[in-house]
Amino acid sequence: MALRQLLLILALVCANDSLSTSEVILGRPQIVKCRSPEQETFSCHWTDKDFHNLTTPETVQLFYMRRNDEEWKECPDYVTAGENSCYFNTSYTSIWITYCVKLINKDEVLYEKCFSVDEIVQPDPPVGLNWTLLNTSLTGIHADIQVRWDPPPSADVQKGWITLEYELQYKDVNETKWRELEPMLTTVVPLYSLKLGRDYEIRVRSRQRASEKFGEFSEALYVSLSSISSVLCNEEIQFPWLLVIVFGTFGLIVVMFLILFSKHRRLKMLILPPVPAPKIKGIDPDLLKKGKLDEVNSILASHDSYKPQLYNDDSWVEFIELDIDDPDEKTDGLDTDRLLGDDHCKSHNCLGVKDDDSGRASCCEPDIPETDFSASDTCDGTSDIDQSKKISEKEEDLLCLDQKDNDESHASPADPSTQKPNTNIQSKPPFADSIESTSPPVRTQLSNQSSGANADFYAQVSDVTPAGSVVLSPGQTNKTRRTQCEAYTEPAIQCQPNFTMDNAYFCEADVKKCITATSHDAVEPHVQEQSFNEDVYFTTESLTTTAENPGTAAVEASNSEMPVPDYTSIHIVHSPQGLVLNATALPVPDKEFMISCGYMSTDQLNKIMP
Amino acid sequence: MFKVQVEAIGNEQGSSKGVLLVVLLVSNMFLSKKGVTSLPICPSGSVGCQVSLGNLFDRAVKLSHYIHSLSSEMFNEFDERYAQGRGFITKAINGCHTSSLTTPEDKDQAQQIHHEDLLNLVLGVLRSWNDPLLHLVSEVQSIKEAPDTILWKAVEIEEQNKRLLEGMEKIVGQVHPGEIENEVYSRWSGLPSLQMADEDSRLFAFYSLLHCLRRDSHKIDNYLKLLKCRLIHDSNC
Repeated sequence: MALRQLLLILALVCANDSLSTSEVILGRPQIVKCRSPEQETFSCHWTDKDFHNLTTPETVQLFYMRRNDEEWKECPDYVTAGENSCYFNTSYTSIWITYCVKLINKDEVLYEKCFSVDEIVQPDPPVGLNWTLLNTSLTGIHADIQVRWDPPPSADVQKGWITLEYELQYKDVNETKWRELEPMLTTVVPLYSLKLGRDYEIRVRSRQRASEKFGEFSEALYVSLSSISSVLCNEEIQFPWLLVIVFGTFGLIVVMFLILFSKHRRLKMLILPPVPAPKIKGIDPDLLKKGKLDEVNSILASHDSYKPQLYNDDSWVEFIELDIDDPDEKTDGLDTDRLLGDDHCKSHNCLGVKDDDSGRASCCEPDIPETDFSASDTCDGTSDIDQSKKISEKEEDLLCLDQKDNDESHASPADPSTQKPNTNIQSKPPFADSIESTSPPVRTQLSNQSSGANADFYAQVSDVTPAGSVVLSPGQTNKTRRTQCEAYTEPAIQCQPNFTMDNAYFCEADVKKCITATSHDAVEPHVQEQSFNEDVYFTTESLTTTAENPGTAAVEASNSEMPVPDYTSIHIVHSPQGLVLNATALPVPDKEFMISCGYMSTDQLNKIMP
Repeated sequence: MFKVQVEAIGNEQGSSKGVLLVVLLVSNMFLSKKGVTSLPICPSGSVGCQVSLGNLFDRAVKLSHYIHSLSSEMFNEFDERYAQGRGFITKAINGCHTSSLTTPEDKDQAQQIHHEDLLNLVLGVLRSWNDPLLHLVSEVQSIKEAPDTILWKAVEIEEQNKRLLEGMEKIVGQVHPGEIENEVYSRWSGLPSLQMADEDSRLFAFYSLLHCLRRDSHKIDNYLKLLKCRLIHDSNC
């Protein structure tokens, strides 16, 4: 069993030994290795691995046979190559010829192998290894050296009989693993980046080019770089991490403190932002501080900011926005100013007069800033407060609804917002009779616009003549009215009709809804109710339109009748609750207004009006 | 041109062979192509233009080395795959078809022979292999499950052998101008054996052919290196 196992092992070993030669293992396992160092001679060595003691070791013989020979010849030289070897010198060696050798012990073939000499070439190791220092790095850590050697003397490289290839290996003396370089044809090679202060070992081996097997390694060359003192430092310079960290943190801390102390407040703001104080447009907080509540109230009333929540959802209220930002746009056609300035005082009792509890109920006009009021209206001899009151009254009468828009206009006294209402007036075609639009488009805002003529734009129905025409008076604010307004605004709010953003106009149908809804809810005295209705249904035509549209003579006529110089009222017909502002009440088909929801061109107006 | 399968070669015999192969490929490109830019090459047919003998020898040596490495690898592959345990080597003692050409068998003989004769011999051997290589390419495909590497190498060797022959003829033209009277070469008659029905016999025929190819390519390589050192470097390589 042991023998068989040994045989198996040896068979495997022999199979791996050479690819080109087949080895026949007979009898005792022997291994015969043949080698030619220079392709001129060759020698075979065998080892005796037989466990059994050979009775006569000397009887082992090696026979060889060349290709053309017919018989086996014995080894010519058993000595030169050492023990258990056979040496074939040049006369016995022929290249490119197949040789077969066999090992015989007393006629017992121990081993047989066939090969050709060119296949078994394994050169001797190179000789003459030496090294020279090429250069050292600036840091004094690394160095480059050049290693040089000579080919083995046995190999006739000069005549080109054999071409050799070299492989160099090196390592640090403390390491265990050799580093290899690629096989090269030259006998000189540089080694880069060796560390100073350490010692290295270098060894070289060679093989025939295009062959697989290398020869033996040369003796190791000892490269001592430690003797070369590194100028700068022996140790590798390590990055001073500790210092960097320490100084870095220190610097960061300093910077942070600086920031903290310099921007103390800012940081505080950032971290704990202050709660924003309530701010109302047009109201100077100082007023509150000073305690001028009346003024504040007036402003607030004009802004309708008391009821911001009430009207927040009323989109149609937004139409009455005053364009505060564009003062220049509206300065051109401030006819209202002229009218107000000229006619207003003449025909009317000025703004400060009317105090009608009767007719004016609901709609509040957006407040006219005090200053405007006082500045513009010469007739107005009342105090600012009164005027503001009147303004507020007027506002209430006309419109509780257009809060937001008015807010803007009132916010800044004598501001460019005055311009906007003017244009608004101009832009809106007056509603015809049946328009039940709410008065926000009434351009009560317009009154706010021109400096000093703000209040003039708002007209409220002060009275209804039996003839059916409406007496308009400039918007007068009244606290009571305001309250009334508030009362009535709520139902109006309930409607929340969806109006287009065209601030001046409201669809008839939408208004109807409001009105019908609100009308039922009117609890107030009839007068108020009526006034409310009046207000609701009241639409005013812009002054400019009146000026521009002579066609609306009737309107003008009505104007002349009416105490209100600014407006030409257009009576609205539709519901019994509607006011007939004109003598000639024209039933206006709903359709027309439905179609041109939000707008009534002057042409349409003309059609409607007699 | 070359289907360089460096990986295949590398797997077999290490990366060094791959490097050599690449070098040879590059050099072969110069040798084979006419009009390669990097090296001065005479356009075909031009009179009076001569590539230097040294360059010719360099290219020839590189080419012969390449052919030998290919042959060696091919033989090893074949041996591994088909010839294990069949005892082919013992039967292959019989020579190759080029044995009729008396070529120097050792260094002494090689040094004594005249370089012109040696060149002629090289030419003879190369010519002798034209035909066998051609058939090898066609017949190796009939081997059962022949790996692609063997097939590819056979094609490559056949191609490069032709180029080497051309190069050698140029060298001969420069070294020894004049007509070569005897075109010596050996005929090959091994084609029937490659086409035998018997698998074993057929494989043995292939084995023998590849064995001979490896040997002869080594011979040519050696002779050319010898000649190069002798003629170009004056025996001082």
